[in-house]
Amino acid sequence: MSAGDAGLVNQKYALLPAFLQAKGLIRQHVSSFNHFIASDLLKIIKAKGNERVTCDADPNFYLRYTNIYVGRPSLEEDYIQTELTPNQCRLRDQTYSAPISVDVEYTRGKEVVIRKGKSGAGAILIGRMPIMLRSDRCVLTGKSEEELAWVGECPLDPGGYFVVKGTEKVILIQEQLSKNRIIIDTGTPALAARHSHGAVVASVTSSTHERKSKTNIVSKHNRLMLKHNAFTEDVNIVIVMRAMGVESDEEVLQLVGTEGPFASLLTPTLQHCKEEGVYTRQQALDYLAGKVKGSGRPASPAGGGGFTRRTRSRVDEARDILANVVLCHVPVVQFDYQQKVTYIAVMVRRMLYAKLDPSFIDDRDYYGNKRLELAGGLLALLFEDLFKRMNADLKRQADSSLSKANRATQFDIAKCIRTDTITFGLEHAISSGNWTIKRFRMERKGVTQVLSRLSFISAVGMMTRITSQFEKTRKVSGPRALQPSQWGMLCPADTPEGESCGLVKNLALMTHVTTDEEEAPIARLAHIMGVEPASLVNQSELRERGCALVFLNGNILGVHRRPKYFVRSFREMRRRGRVGEFVSVYMQHDTVQIASDGGRVCRPLIICDRGVPRVKDEHLQLLRMGKWNFNSFLHSGLLEYLDVNEENNSLVALYEADCGPRVTHLEIEPFTILGVVAGLIPFPHHNQSPRNTYQCAMGKQAMGNVAFNQLNRMDTLLYLLCYPQRPLLTTKTIELVGFDRLGAGQNATVAVMSYSGYDIEDAIVMNRASLDRGFGRCIVLRKYGTSLKKYANRTQDRIVLPAAAVGPASAPRPAKFRVLDRDGIAAAGEVLTQGEILVNKQMPTNTRDPVSNPAAMPDTFYRNAPVSWKGYTGGEKCVVDKVLLTSNDDCSCVVKVLVRHTRRPELGDKFSSRHGQKGVVGSIWSQSDMPFSERGLVPDLIMNPHGFPSRMTVGKMIELLGSKAAVCTGRFHYGTAFGEPAGLADKVESISQELVEAGYSYSGKDFLHSGITGEALEAHIFMGPVYYQKLKHMVLDKMHARARGPRVVLTRQPTEGRSRDGGLRLGEMERDCLIGYGASMLLLERLMISSDQFEVQVCTHCGLMGYKRHDGLAVCPLLRSPEHIASLRIPYAAKLLFQELQSMNIVPKLLLAEA
Amino acid sequence: MATKTTKREPQVELRKLTDDYCEFVLKGTDVSMANALRRIILVEVPTIAIELVEFEANTTVLNDEFLAHRLGLIPLVSTRVHDMKSIYEAQVGAWVARRRRHYIHPVGYHDREDKGILLVKMRRNQELKLRAVARKGTGKDHAKWMPVATCVYQFMPEITINHALMDTLTDDQKEEWCAADPRKTFRLNKLTHRVEVTNPELYQYDGEVLAKAEEMGKPGLVAIKQKQDTFIFRVEGTGVLPPQDIVLTACEVLASKIRNLDAALAEEARRFDGREEPAPMQA
Repeated sequence: MSAGDAGLVNQKYALLPAFLQAKGLIRQHVSSFNHFIASDLLKIIKAKGNERVTCDADPNFYLRYTNIYVGRPSLEEDYIQTELTPNQCRLRDQTYSAPISVDVEYTRGKEVVIRKGKSGAGAILIGRMPIMLRSDRCVLTGKSEEELAWVGECPLDPGGYFVVKGTEKVILIQEQLSKNRIIIDTGTPALAARHSHGAVVASVTSSTHERKSKTNIVSKHNRLMLKHNAFTEDVNIVIVMRAMGVESDEEVLQLVGTEGPFASLLTPTLQHCKEEGVYTRQQALDYLAGKVKGSGRPASPAGGGGFTRRTRSRVDEARDILANVVLCHVPVVQFDYQQKVTYIAVMVRRMLYAKLDPSFIDDRDYYGNKRLELAGGLLALLFEDLFKRMNADLKRQADSSLSKANRATQFDIAKCIRTDTITFGLEHAISSGNWTIKRFRMERKGVTQVLSRLSFISAVGMMTRITSQFEKTRKVSGPRALQPSQWGMLCPADTPEGESCGLVKNLALMTHVTTDEEEAPIARLAHIMGVEPASLVNQSELRERGCALVFLNGNILGVHRRPKYFVRSFREMRRRGRVGEFVSVYMQHDTVQIASDGGRVCRPLIICDRGVPRVKDEHLQLLRMGKWNFNSFLHSGLLEYLDVNEENNSLVALYEADCGPRVTHLEIEPFTILGVVAGLIPFPHHNQSPRNTYQCAMGKQAMGNVAFNQLNRMDTLLYLLCYPQRPLLTTKTIELVGFDRLGAGQNATVAVMSYSGYDIEDAIVMNRASLDRGFGRCIVLRKYGTSLKKYANRTQDRIVLPAAAVGPASAPRPAKFRVLDRDGIAAAGEVLTQGEILVNKQMPTNTRDPVSNPAAMPDTFYRNAPVSWKGYTGGEKCVVDKVLLTSNDDCSCVVKVLVRHTRRPELGDKFSSRHGQKGVVGSIWSQSDMPFSERGLVPDLIMNPHGFPSRMTVGKMIELLGSKAAVCTGRFHYGTAFGEPAGLADKVESISQELVEAGYSYSGKDFLHSGITGEALEAHIFMGPVYYQKLKHMVLDKMHARARGPRVVLTRQPTEGRSRDGGLRLGEMERDCLIGYGASMLLLERLMISSDQFEVQVCTHCGLMGYKRHDGLAVCPLLRSPEHIASLRIPYAAKLLFQELQSMNIVPKLLLAEA
Repeated sequence: MATKTTKREPQVELRKLTDDYCEFVLKGTDVSMANALRRIILVEVPTIAIELVEFEANTTVLNDEFLAHRLGLIPLVSTRVHDMKSIYEAQVGAWVARRRRHYIHPVGYHDREDKGILLVKMRRNQELKLRAVARKGTGKDHAKWMPVATCVYQFMPEITINHALMDTLTDDQKEEWCAADPRKTFRLNKLTHRVEVTNPELYQYDGEVLAKAEEMGKPGLVAIKQKQDTFIFRVEGTGVLPPQDIVLTACEVLASKIRNLDAALAEEARRFDGREEPAPMQA
């Protein structure tokens, strides 16, 4: 590796491991969850609607929450508190959760009770919170590798998921449009078509703790209208402003801006306002009151005489809607609409701008307009909902007991707090993935997914996955396309193929997702730095030249007269650590935006002063010596996080050599634009891009080691490779992620040649001797489990060994009980055959009615409910690996049996290199038949050269060369993406040099002899090691054939699918072929005789199907005589159809003719 | 390739012989013979390897199949393999009675001090108790019975330098041309200013020098051919059998194959004799 042009370039890579060490591989999830536990929870219980529980019956009654605590994951069993470990939860089907407790203050009778817990726990338990692994509350945090091993955990496991009822669940990152921001859009395509130009819509999705609402301003006949769900129809925006207190047209104009053509553009709107006769605030409110939705009911209750609660007038309602519903994120204090009016004016102004110049139209797919919702945020939504529900329950209880006149005991609300609501609510949501938030009427499905443990990489890859809220069926390419603003934030390669292509994305290596940050201190600082509050400034001054509006999280903060200076100094404050590191400031058009909200994606960059990077050799020296860590760089103002929007204000250089005078930032390493999964590919920048995408999908199916604790786990299905290797050609990402310690593949010597023809169409010819020696050998572990339930009548399931038949012959037990031990469970080490019973469970026949002696019921009271092994008849020899007996949360016994099968590759098993080049084994040959070189090198597998020209996977060729050089020199070679200039990837030139030094051809080609004839092959063969992955698709799991077998009861046709031993369907297209060919007998045989042939007796007179009489003669259903009956063979399905039609009063008749 | 009509008189010249390596030159025969020998060495020379493992207890991290596979791949010193009969060689039912216990040890294992090959690392309280049966077998059945790590032959290169053309080059050019060969087969003699072949066997047929000559505009600088009747054999044993033993057994196997063929042909000829003249053999 050659050093770069400058001193820094070679070492700044060191920042990356420091970053990952400080933050962890999946920092987004963990930091989001930590933020939720540390500050969101307290905020929720202190929120306006949540803090106090009051009672309608007793005005003095209250319950107030003063503090909330989440403890350490623990479990109370038999009154003993024990610490929970994640692996224990996985094995015992428990939930890894910690108690949530609160401090409260409430009234009991006349006295006020203050209850405070001690030593970091609250006084009253309100539920249990599932704990994210490796978060602050997790027992694994801060443990060394050895300590982790003691608790049965893998040190390389990234955490970031939950263990709920024994299954690992990931809350996927959700992508959505940012809240509380004005987005100028072209509206719906239909609308845009109608208005040839200027069909612009300004929309804001406001979101506060209590409410979510969407406000649009649309242009209708050149009039600007407010479109909102609260109103029955679109209302003139000027009328809305009038209702908010802007009474004169001049004021409206001044707010929006008087310069240029604004006045003329606003004229139609103002005109319309005049036409409607709205001049004053009262008139406007009256006007709006008529349009309020749901106000169709009469203003006052009709008669009745009795005093009812005074209904608000419609005008009040309209005023209230304007204050609290429309643009609800803009605060309106005591009906002072000043801020909201300014906000609307800004919306209008931006809309008008966009009308004049389409370049002001925002791009919905621009990543700065997106926010990512993580586990913490989603849990906060859910928790608040559940907390509200719990409070509502408490209130109901208080109401019902306090309204009773005389009570036996004093009402103590603390004793009424039930923990189930929150515990089960959280547990159920995470385990089912259904996120139901009542107050936002939100119902999302599939929020969580089971963590895929197919390979280590698939697990890590799942943590970085982002799903989009867009529906998959819509045929717009915009949201699916790779957006330039995703550079560095999202992996450009890692996305699935097919329907969710481009909608499911993955984070890049260094991306961080922000969490919410307190606004008040930032606002205070901004004011100190010269932002004048908008309400204190004259309207016309807002628009003065050189002035800029300053927004904080989408809300107007004020005006600054020297915005560029302000932005610069604000950034300096951030670099000095006076403001949070994730707060971003940027200029957008003529505004300054400060963002501190959660869900923005950002990444660290090196700061440059006029093109000179601030990070110097001495700093890296400190890092190397261990005196500095990543945060020291941040705090010293050498690095900073930039979000997508702020990136737009900067000029980022890729390499130090590109640093010109205008450059503001320098990338840490260019390969960090790729994600974890794409980071495994060596030389991806030499491949055709779809190939990298294919590999990203396939890397997740590759077998290997799953985790260091893989043999202590009981997963439903686990694929392990016997001898996984570390790739000879690695990348920096591989080392950072730990793939070199948990590999998923083997370095195979590949000869790229056509040999025999069993390698055409991507097939692979394999060397049998290599397979004998363990290449591609894998272990498949499958779990079979059951639990023993207890029933209401005190009976319970049992596991027994069936008694050997008693009697003179004393026949042995049936063969299916062969592997059972004395306890009725299969013994470890037993070899299984088809249909054998693993756990001989029996259930009581009667689980409802009381039974006299539930403990000792006779055998006849039980029926069998065994767990049997459904192996395939293909000679699969499986072994019982181990048996686990434990108890779960309900204290019922759980039995898990792990069945193991060792497989060697066979014809048709799927293999793939790391370049999206998959293939199946086409033939397996003896080593003596394989080609050999004069040095004695024999390939492990042969790949057809036709795989290269159309796929253009040059990276694979370089990998082969590099691996060959690695073998020759004994040094692992590197193929990091874009790594050549920084020395993180070996250059082909230097690799060739090494090959020549080792006595090989520079091109990697060898001179081979045919193993069959012994003669020299004419061509030189490109041969060397390539890292090959064995994919989970194996012939053994798929092969299927049937001659005869089960049939469906209803139609009597063969069943469908391999699992049901089904038939192979002769489908419509195959049928068409046979019809076209005229093979009528074959058709008849396939479609009827081999399927559901049935003999019916048909009456030749009436054409109805007859039935068999008691004497065995078939009779006509009408004539009831056996005359005129013809026997006919039709498909059973046809007979069924006729009868079903008959049941609907349609009579199909079979009119028979002489054949 | 035109078949030579010259009479075959194979000759062997032994070059090197150590405990696990043997290099000899096979002359005066053709590819088919050499390749047959190579294939037999790889796949048909019997050795001893563990084939059957019975586990009594195994609580190690590796499961039974895994360990059994690893055990099978241990090279066992198989010098006594000739006294043994494989299952298929023995009379049906008789082989069990013939089974004798031999003392067999892995390659490189001499006494209890030797660590030997790492099979599995065990932790305290882990248990492993097994009984393994080693049997005679050939590489045809499983690679564990292969007696060699590798066995290859090399065609002797026949290099003729066109000195007349070579002399049109300058010394620098000659040097450059010599450097093109990664194996350094050629050398410029500084005294005579002539290009010499250092050792023709070094040449790997990679075609680099030919390409270089073409690039220099002097095609035909050198002509390289494979000598079709001389093979340099390299047998790298695993230690299970001494290499000379491997080669000799292979020859024996080859000879027995030919004897079988001969006998079969004779038998066939006898059958035909009864009825008609045997049809002339197709060449």
